[in-house]
Amino acid sequence: MGGEKAKNSSLREPFLNELSPVDSVAGLEELRVRYLGKKGLLTSELKSLGGLPPDERRAAGAVLNETKEFIEQALAQRKQELKDLELRRKLASESIDVTLPGSYVQPGRIHPLTQTLEEITDVFVSMGFSVEEGPEVELDYYNFEALNIPKEHPAREMQDTFYVSNDIVLRTHTSPVQIRVMQRKSPPLKFIAPGKVYRCDADISHTPMFHQIEGLMVGEDITFSHLKAVLESFLHRIFSPDVPVRFRPSYFPFTEPSAEVDIGCIFCKGTGCRTCKGSGWIEILGAGMVNPHVFEMVGYDPKKYSGFAFGMGIERIAMLKYSIDDIRLFYENDIRFLGQF
Amino acid sequence: MRVSFAWLSEFIKTGLSVEKIAHMLTMSGLEVEALEAALNDVILEVNVTPNRADCLSVLGVVRELSVLTGEPVILPSSVIKSKEENEKDLLPEIKVEIRNAELCRRYSGRVIRNVKIGPSPEWMAKRLEDYGIRSINNIVDITNYVLVELGHPLHAFDLKTLKGGRIVVDTADNIYRKIKTLDGVERKLPENALVIADAEDPIALAGIMGGASTEVEESTTDIFLEAAWFEPVNIRKTAKALGLSSESSYRFERGADIEIIPFALDRASYLMQEYAGGVPHKAVDVFPGKKIPRAIEVNAQRVSKLLGTDIQKDEIIKILERLGFAPKWNDSLITVFPPSYRLDVEAEQDIVEEVARIYGYDKIPTILPVSRLSAREAPLRSNFIKDARQNIRRSGYNEAINFSFMNPQAFELLSLNDDDIRRSAVALINPLNQEESLLRTTLLPALIENQKHNLQRGLRNIRLAETARIFIKRNTGELPIEHLMLAGISMMNRTYSFWRNGTEDFYCAKGAVEALLDEFRIRDRSFGPCGEPFLHPGKSADVMVSGQRCGFVGVLSPTVREKAEIKGKEDITVFELNLDVIFAALPGIPVYRSIPRFPAVERDIALIVDESVNAAQVIRKIKEYPSELIENAVVFDLYKGEGIPAGKKSMAFNVRYRATGKTLTEEEVEQIHEGLIKDLLVHTGGSLR
Repeated sequence: MGGEKAKNSSLREPFLNELSPVDSVAGLEELRVRYLGKKGLLTSELKSLGGLPPDERRAAGAVLNETKEFIEQALAQRKQELKDLELRRKLASESIDVTLPGSYVQPGRIHPLTQTLEEITDVFVSMGFSVEEGPEVELDYYNFEALNIPKEHPAREMQDTFYVSNDIVLRTHTSPVQIRVMQRKSPPLKFIAPGKVYRCDADISHTPMFHQIEGLMVGEDITFSHLKAVLESFLHRIFSPDVPVRFRPSYFPFTEPSAEVDIGCIFCKGTGCRTCKGSGWIEILGAGMVNPHVFEMVGYDPKKYSGFAFGMGIERIAMLKYSIDDIRLFYENDIRFLGQF
Repeated sequence: MRVSFAWLSEFIKTGLSVEKIAHMLTMSGLEVEALEAALNDVILEVNVTPNRADCLSVLGVVRELSVLTGEPVILPSSVIKSKEENEKDLLPEIKVEIRNAELCRRYSGRVIRNVKIGPSPEWMAKRLEDYGIRSINNIVDITNYVLVELGHPLHAFDLKTLKGGRIVVDTADNIYRKIKTLDGVERKLPENALVIADAEDPIALAGIMGGASTEVEESTTDIFLEAAWFEPVNIRKTAKALGLSSESSYRFERGADIEIIPFALDRASYLMQEYAGGVPHKAVDVFPGKKIPRAIEVNAQRVSKLLGTDIQKDEIIKILERLGFAPKWNDSLITVFPPSYRLDVEAEQDIVEEVARIYGYDKIPTILPVSRLSAREAPLRSNFIKDARQNIRRSGYNEAINFSFMNPQAFELLSLNDDDIRRSAVALINPLNQEESLLRTTLLPALIENQKHNLQRGLRNIRLAETARIFIKRNTGELPIEHLMLAGISMMNRTYSFWRNGTEDFYCAKGAVEALLDEFRIRDRSFGPCGEPFLHPGKSADVMVSGQRCGFVGVLSPTVREKAEIKGKEDITVFELNLDVIFAALPGIPVYRSIPRFPAVERDIALIVDESVNAAQVIRKIKEYPSELIENAVVFDLYKGEGIPAGKKSMAFNVRYRATGKTLTEEEVEQIHEGLIKDLLVHTGGSLR
């Protein structure tokens, strides 16, 4: 047994010695042939087994086979190592500068007014309001008369109007959509109408075109307290859940009672600053209970139905939201401005 | 309106600070926009809404404060000394004739003799100046002082210039054609303008401005002081027609208080007696339009129902009493008689509002409404617009928003033909300026301006897109047609971009359009020849959707660039699409087609054809080839240059064959493919490469 062991070691040892410096798949193959090839060292010894007596032959054969297996495994393992090494070298040689910019179409940005408008729209849609549209060039009738603003009414002075003809105007507010929708649909209804409106007024704080969202809810038991709750909950969502909201009496010909809605100044938290002109409050929207005259104009029974309407300027809300200090920036379309939102 | 706190404090003793008073007024509907410090005084900047003509005076604000605090109003002095003696001695010297009692329901006045014209006392001049009225002389100042104090406009005529001892109130007609007003302007009288005349000529534009011929001057010794009521709509029409507005017309057109006239007249007479040494004579008062107080009914239950609060009847009545509405009641039905100065209170809703604002909006609870759920109306169109914006944004375009106005020069800029529909623009009667005098019929001119704006600021890689309406004029009296358009402009400078994409700019813009149409699964689309005069004729295409022209995409022509003064070498690409056309072409819910079970076989064809042959023609021919096995064909290469004869180009196509029920054999495909190639060579006049 001792002699056989010594014989075995005599092949393993030199094989391992020869294996260690091999650094290529080709060298590995050479080594394989040297030991396991037809005339290989191990193969010759296997062949020479035939000359041994049968009992020795079995024992010696087992040892040789074990060695053969050992060599095969060692070769395979080394082959895998070499392959991995080669792949690593190949990949290393393919390295690129990962800090170079990626290739893509840089997405543009949506205008901050549109984003604000969509955000507001989404809040009301989540409350079950639908979305309506109306023409921007509007009949005087829808823009004024049906809203209880007859010709020669002083309230017309509240809105400087662009005229196309005696009877056709650029809508000065989104309120005419109220009339058009009520003429088409019967109550109950609740919708908003976002869009562009026009007033012939241009100075540091006014642009001749701006954006509004109008809202209307009509039903059998709609009350002023509903108006307060819907608008308060809207303002809390848009600004912050703890922003103070106040309602104070105002005047619109198409609502009565009418209200201006203020929020506590979001910049100074009510202590008074430039934005709120020291009052601590910022006027944010106008609202009121639909004037029965308006219901009469569209053929709704004012004894049966009541409702509230509200309207707000988008520019003002967007300016507050993004801290934009000049309304004209919205319409210059400078990409350094647009790219920020 | 600017209200002096000192003046106001003479008429009511509230003991409250000016800040507290400002807050009370604001929260009840008279918004105090600012408090301004003045010498020994504070000026309240009050925003009076158009319905509250009664608040256009110190007294008006005081009345409001009285309602809010319960403190009484202290009226200023109007006692005329030895009035009886004067009246005994002198009868009214002026005969007043009202010829239109609808437009002038009351006319009062009196002669005041022996006035000494001079400056007003300092305090009076200061109060007027704090309000915003220039001090002129004691007589004129007193009329203005009473206007600010009581809200009723007065006018003083120089008695010696008044001809015939008569005042006639009438509308302008053939007799009265024109008048020279106090401001020195000779004015043609508009139709139906109400005038005050003497026995011969018009001497004042009723309620708007006095005439120059009867103006009070330094030499004046006797005056006739007028206090009258004029109908609001008539005053407004005349003022508007003449483009003339005054403190007086501002009040009359909102509705003056007809019952305050005697007091206003006495108050001014008193002041003239005190500060101009005048002797007031007997007043004349012609009052053909006296009306009995209106009675308005309001149901207490309806008030609380509409407000959504359980305000009690007793409280409502208390509020109405404080407002001076003299409520009477029977069960829950309350009848009120609003005072003469509250012309705005006409119907039940007005009473509801009065109760609500005095009760306090802040006391009304906030209760979210309960509403019936309905999923009936999906916001299809608004979602569509939102998706379109998002899609074009992902193609690299920043969203722009421009005014809807257009410069008439835009037609020339774009070289539009005379019969181009885009020349049918709606014109404004009162534009802000010539550059903004039309409504847009195309979004391009504004985007070209935007491009310029950015380039001038040294910016590059500018892509802008706008979604907005255009307006096409129709017949007079009809509203214009409004179309929702989506337009884009792009100018890409690749010099400083690391990966220099070699795709022609035209194809980048076209790609944006295709991506948009893909977004909405619009397959029925094509790009064909385009005749837009402002585009490069060889680099532009009409966009067709469902057989309808939806817009164009192309490179801006050098002529337009030159006119617009845009420098730079890079192409400017533009597109404009009618979103209404796309919205109408939106496909319905997709119908599932089973995914093919058998593999496809692909073959490539490289053709050398005339340059005039385009890829779409070849693909159409491939698809038209009579074989059900051709599933699809795409162009994947275009080559010109070495190896290809001049005037020719090489195009390579990939054709995909597939049978629905089996795997195709090489032989089957080869057979059809051979036939297809022959067919293509015949139809394109080309050869194989």
